[in-house]
Amino acid sequence: MATLVLAGQEQRVFVASQWQLMWWRFCKHRVAVAGGVVVLAFYTIVLGADFLAYADPNASEAQRSLMPPQRVYWLDGWRFGPYVHGVTGARDPQTYKRVYRPDPTRKVPIRLFAEGFEYRLFGLIPTTRHLIGVDGGVDASRTIFLLGTDVQGRDLWSRLMYGTRVSLTIGLLGVTASLVLGVVLGGLSGFYGGVLDTVIQRTIEILRSIPTIPLWMGLAAALPRDWSILKVYFAITIIISLLGWTELARVVRGRFLAMREEDFVVSARLVGCTEMRTIFVHMVPSFMSHIIAATTLALPAMIVSETALSFLGLGLRPPAISWGVLLQQAQNVQTVAISPWLMIPAIPVILAVMAFNFLGDGLRDAADPYGR
Amino acid sequence: MSELRRRPRTRTLRSRLTVALVLGALMVVIAAGALAQGKGSLIGKLEGPEVVTDPAKLPKTFKEAPQLAELVKAGKLPPVAERVGQDPLVIKPLHEIGKYGGSWRGGFTGPADFWNGYRCCSGPDHLLFWDYTGDKVTPNIAKGYELQDGGRTVVLHLRRGMKWSDGQPFTADDFVFWFEDIYRNKDLVPTPSAAMAINGKQGVVEKVDTYTVKFKFPEPYYMFPDVLAGSTDLGGQAWRGAFGLGGYAPAHYLKQFHPKYAGQAEVEKKARDVKFDSWVRMFFNRSDWSLNPELPVVSPWKTVTPINTPTWTLERNPYSVYVDTAGNQLPYIDKVVLTLAENLEVINLRAIAGEYDFQARHLDLAKVPVFLENQQRGGYKLHLDPGDYGGDMIIKFNLSYEADPEIAKWMNATDFRRALSLGIDRDQINETFWLGTGTPSSVVPADGNKYNPGPQYRKLWATLDVKKANEMLDKIGLAKKDTEGFRLRTDGKGRLRIEIMTLGGQFLQFTQIAEMIREQWKKIGIDLTVQEVERSLALQRTAANEQQLAAWNNDGSEHLFTFPTHVFPFDAIAVVATSGPLYAKWFQSAGAQGKEPPARMKELMAKFRKAYGVPEKERIELGKEVWKIAAEEVYIIGVIGMGPASMGVRVVKTNMGNIPSRQYNSPDGKTPTISRPVTFFWKK
Repeated sequence: MATLVLAGQEQRVFVASQWQLMWWRFCKHRVAVAGGVVVLAFYTIVLGADFLAYADPNASEAQRSLMPPQRVYWLDGWRFGPYVHGVTGARDPQTYKRVYRPDPTRKVPIRLFAEGFEYRLFGLIPTTRHLIGVDGGVDASRTIFLLGTDVQGRDLWSRLMYGTRVSLTIGLLGVTASLVLGVVLGGLSGFYGGVLDTVIQRTIEILRSIPTIPLWMGLAAALPRDWSILKVYFAITIIISLLGWTELARVVRGRFLAMREEDFVVSARLVGCTEMRTIFVHMVPSFMSHIIAATTLALPAMIVSETALSFLGLGLRPPAISWGVLLQQAQNVQTVAISPWLMIPAIPVILAVMAFNFLGDGLRDAADPYGR
Repeated sequence: MSELRRRPRTRTLRSRLTVALVLGALMVVIAAGALAQGKGSLIGKLEGPEVVTDPAKLPKTFKEAPQLAELVKAGKLPPVAERVGQDPLVIKPLHEIGKYGGSWRGGFTGPADFWNGYRCCSGPDHLLFWDYTGDKVTPNIAKGYELQDGGRTVVLHLRRGMKWSDGQPFTADDFVFWFEDIYRNKDLVPTPSAAMAINGKQGVVEKVDTYTVKFKFPEPYYMFPDVLAGSTDLGGQAWRGAFGLGGYAPAHYLKQFHPKYAGQAEVEKKARDVKFDSWVRMFFNRSDWSLNPELPVVSPWKTVTPINTPTWTLERNPYSVYVDTAGNQLPYIDKVVLTLAENLEVINLRAIAGEYDFQARHLDLAKVPVFLENQQRGGYKLHLDPGDYGGDMIIKFNLSYEADPEIAKWMNATDFRRALSLGIDRDQINETFWLGTGTPSSVVPADGNKYNPGPQYRKLWATLDVKKANEMLDKIGLAKKDTEGFRLRTDGKGRLRIEIMTLGGQFLQFTQIAEMIREQWKKIGIDLTVQEVERSLALQRTAANEQQLAAWNNDGSEHLFTFPTHVFPFDAIAVVATSGPLYAKWFQSAGAQGKEPPARMKELMAKFRKAYGVPEKERIELGKEVWKIAAEEVYIIGVIGMGPASMGVRVVKTNMGNIPSRQYNSPDGKTPTISRPVTFFWKK
């Protein structure tokens, strides 16, 4: 009986599905798990950007222009009760800088689920509740600026939330587009071979031989300047995914070539499965895990591309808000010298890219049946 | 000479400490001084050098720069008294007689940045120019002028013995050559200039004697001296020579490129040899002040390495006709070196680092705190030079818009324009983008300007009044709104969306300001779309009458009659922001082309036109009338004016002398030329 008990653990392994095996292996990769958590957090922000923001990202107010991040006091006396000090701002007549003095006698308590500007939660439910906020909404003298404000006095935290939404969805949409292109074209190329294979492969080579940034820049510069923000947004997504599909297509093609002659594929064909069924029911699932890993690794590249293009002024343009747009507005001497907090949007870019890379790494290891 | 100015290198720790201590002490003193002076310290008193015309005060003997003295000694140059002639142009420096030597470093953004070197180094070479207040016409290259024959003839007296930069005499023949062979040559100047005409009738140039020229017109042209002083087609060789205009030209040099003197076949062959499309192109290239180092000029500095190279260098003209009151031939500074920096951020960074000696162009108002912070380290002082014009930023309505009849109708409704103007929160914009240094204003120029119609026009329709704006819009028939609170079109095609065109990379961030206005106009139910475009696209759009609204400034409009571009539809050629190209065409062609404007605008145009032919007193009254109509009708919305945003942020090395604490900032003044950079010098 003892052997049976011992084998319990092993038995679990034997009967586990491929996905379960992957999950177990993935969990062992601590950094990847951490990366996964961060990525999840980022996409939570994407879903609830307007809930997490506490100020209208476009509401400007000269009297709070270039306000540095506010210090949050966590304890009110001995009780937990976060608050910030009210501030008064004026322009210093000597230095021409705006100076903000906190007024210790005025406490502005930070409230959970406070009322603020109106929005639709998940695009559906109209509400005015935000995760945090202060009583009295967006009045200049009674509000909070966790990360400070920009030149026009717009709250950086709230803008960052909206920027995160745009930047990360562009990445996701871009990857989805390149995934579809990659699997279809790579599949066709690998499954049928011949002339089609040659044409697709040569196209990929040509596309890949062009340096990425100049190509993107060229395409982005060709976008008509009078397009609406939404149109530009989709166009940028497409431009970014235009190169993203090539690598995936190669991988998929290789898999198809290797698998075409495998016994289970041959059997499937012999019992009379249609080509469609052979591909999508028997072949694709056997390397799905690999595709997921490749996709995850492609995401940070997409995010960086959008940020880089917008930073160069070729991608999204204000009033759209994205990480790149926020960083582009911080691209000047006075930001470095007098308002360094405007460079904060660089931090989520770094975080997101690293998190996606670790996650993708872990997924790839987990998905590899021969790895140790 | 640059060694003179280089700060001593501190190599040892001890000397560094000493320097730090001294600097620290200095900073305390300066900070205390600055505190005592208060806010106005950056905007000083308007001051500048003067042109001396009193014969009793003219210098009798002349001195020159050491290197020129050596050339004279070596027999390569005639003596200085011979070079400046009998009637030099005498300038009384602002503070003191200067010293020769050194070079002046600045930055420019490339071949399109002509204004940069032109503004610093051309002298100016206008025949007449303004005094430092920008108000009065003074003698310049011409020694004097007389109006005769009821304003129909303007006689110009030239300076006896004055020379071109190659030593050839500058005489009336250079005017006749320009008029007969350049201006009247249909290949070179296909359309005659409005500056040479009064009421559409062209004038002629005649030689009286070697040093006297006559400009004759069929009707009285009292404005003509102002036209010579302003940035017009007769504004001198440096400004207009490359277009076959300017009023005079070096006949002895340009004849070799002119078919009449060199022969048609010969000039065409010459042009082909040096790869020009035509002889006309070659001619313009050869007469371009910023491109051709061989061109004889009368400006105090002349181009040595041209504008299309990485450094645009200008050196002293040995035959410069400028002298100071002690008889020193000007300029004091030997050389001007402008280095290429295509990125504006780079120009600003170099200025902050103290790598420029005098720079105002391209410096960003938003960086004033950074400039101030680095004053000591960079060894410079920051000055702000607010302009006299009412709009550092204005919004033009295209009044002859046709592409969308509904929008055209509203833009032509006076109350619509007024309501939009009332919907702008100018204080917010001033604080955010002007650091509070501008003045919320309508389009009218500064109170001290002679054409200013009166203090009540400053705020006319130029205050924030959301309630009144909403009432006005409701009343004119735009009461219906959609669910988001935006007003609806009356033709049932949805929301009334209007579009504003902005240009990026300008002295002001027009796009960002327009975005702020878009947010503000939400409160009056107006949906504004902001579109940033390239300059070429902007020109194309205005020319095609496709622009609706456009953001720009009205700099120059303080000289109403020589710079009316931003006052009413004046320019029939493509501009970056138009108030109605069809009306402008109507105006320019005296009603033959274009579209007839509404009555009030016709009244404005008539008054404007009439002013050219009447004596100054009457002209000033007409100018006031023009501004009254412009402010009442709000053809153009004034946003913020009289600020230093456009070329008014000036960084000058502390050891440069004769620097005015405030200078007249305007395109007509070619600032800093109005402060006579020939008198700037290095103190040590």
